[in-house]
Amino acid sequence: MITFEGAAKRHPDGTVAVEGLDLDGPAGRITVLVGPSGCGKTTLLRMVNRMVEPTSGRVLLNGEDVASLPAARLRRGIGYVIQQAGLFPHRRVLDNVATVPRLLGQDRRTARARAAELLELVGLPPETARRYPFQLSGGQQQRVGVARALAADPPVLLMDEPFSAVDPVVRAGLQEELLRLQSELNKTVLFVTHDIEEAVRLGDQVVVLREHGRIAQCADPHTLLTAPANNDVAAFLGRDRGLRGLGLRPASTVGLLPTGTELHGWRLAVDANGRPEGWERGGERRPAPVFAPAADSLRSALDAAVLSPAGAAVAVDGTGRATGLATRAAVLAALGPSVEEPAAERPATEPTAGEPAGGR
Amino acid sequence: MNWLGWLTTFFTAPARQSGPDAIAHRIAEHLVFCGEALLWAVVLAVPLGVLIGYTGRGAFVVTALTGAARALPTLGLVTLAVLLAGVGDTAVLVPLVALAAPPLLVAAAEGVRGTDPVVRDAALGIGLTHRQVLARVCLPAAAPVLLAGLRTATVQTIATATVAAYVGLGGLGRYVVDGLATKDYPATVGGALLVVLLAVAAQLLFAPLIRRASPPQARLTRRTRTRRTKEPR
Repeated sequence: MITFEGAAKRHPDGTVAVEGLDLDGPAGRITVLVGPSGCGKTTLLRMVNRMVEPTSGRVLLNGEDVASLPAARLRRGIGYVIQQAGLFPHRRVLDNVATVPRLLGQDRRTARARAAELLELVGLPPETARRYPFQLSGGQQQRVGVARALAADPPVLLMDEPFSAVDPVVRAGLQEELLRLQSELNKTVLFVTHDIEEAVRLGDQVVVLREHGRIAQCADPHTLLTAPANNDVAAFLGRDRGLRGLGLRPASTVGLLPTGTELHGWRLAVDANGRPEGWERGGERRPAPVFAPAADSLRSALDAAVLSPAGAAVAVDGTGRATGLATRAAVLAALGPSVEEPAAERPATEPTAGEPAGGR
Repeated sequence: MNWLGWLTTFFTAPARQSGPDAIAHRIAEHLVFCGEALLWAVVLAVPLGVLIGYTGRGAFVVTALTGAARALPTLGLVTLAVLLAGVGDTAVLVPLVALAAPPLLVAAAEGVRGTDPVVRDAALGIGLTHRQVLARVCLPAAAPVLLAGLRTATVQTIATATVAAYVGLGGLGRYVVDGLATKDYPATVGGALLVVLLAVAAQLLFAPLIRRASPPQARLTRRTRTRRTKEPR
């Protein structure tokens, strides 16, 4: 667990970076610090590995003051990922990743073997190992940065805007990868970003910061989106809060109709393996948007339902087999009473497909 | 006017083949002066430059020392050194070290200062000590610049070590100085040519070294370029 106790940073010239913050980052969870530039989020993160020393207050790791260890030793036990990766340009990728194990006294062969495992873990092909950093794309460099941070298997990971410098598509991939890694590794992660979308997507706990490191709100992403503490936080969260909140809720609660149900004359065509091929009406065939109740969010389900000519999304299992149909009404019903307003605004032309037929 | 004739005369004279005035002997003397001077210059200037470059403090020292050193007249310095220390190696080494040290100081300071701050930050952040950052990150980054500085210092030292002859010491300067004194123009021209050849040889010798020390980016993409426009950083 990472604990900030009144941690403050005042510069010698009198300016205040962080006024004094109290915060707990629970063990095994991702805590995201998010806020506009200049809110002190990077300063706070760098207090944890003593790249910044607080001028008052302290930072504890599992109850132990970080100042009680020599800085270099402390840092070898904390993974550190930064925006531009910061790889050593004159060393091959493998040796970049092996850096910390080598510092910790592992012999070259062991450290390199470990580094190779990590490259695989972060999804890089083995031939990457022999490349130099400049030969990789930004996204690949960032993966190497993550591998390097994980190499000594530290319990704590500090990530300072790690995905800000790559394009949105690559960023989404890296975020997904981080969540996958985290589900395997359960690190205590402190993640800094200015991107609220990223914060909500990755955080188990999201801390919205105002200037001087003051906490505007600290909550789980769903609470944050549905119940922002004040207008400033709401404004920072941006438009479509309600819809984006759906992205955090599982689609497994949506009631499904049997796949053979006819809707507005449309009928689902499936292939020999039961995979959806499209919606058919008369001689017409249109694509059938799908969602996976086990993996996707309510937002994906709603999106697929909105795009469907029949007004229903096709639920599929892990193998792509159609398991049922989710009408728009069924998706909206799954929202429950807590988010009634968007449901009330829907057009009255919704298909009357009857009661959802249960199932998942 | 017949300088080819002069060169033939110079290179074929028996005195140039063996004895104290032999070409091989003079070259050896010359190189010993240069080597000693460069060694001292490296020992004095590089650690100081590295420290200045890493801490970012004392950059004014670099500016002041290099400016002052550039203004020093070498011959004047030799004379002064002879007056103070008497005729001897010291009298030659002082001006040569003063000549070689500034480019080394600048190269060391600039090379280390030029390390990517992001990489330095990351290195510290993952647990390298300052000493390790210096040795494993900053020095490799500075190596090409440092070697380029050493090349400048070497070439200048080789060209200038002729001053040893002015105070009666050996080296290739003997041919030039003695040649002028005795109107033995073949010796003057031959000696001058040898100094030039030696300097050019040193210059060429550094090229592969600098290339090897270059960052992989410059090293591995070199062949695709038709021509290098500037020194590798």
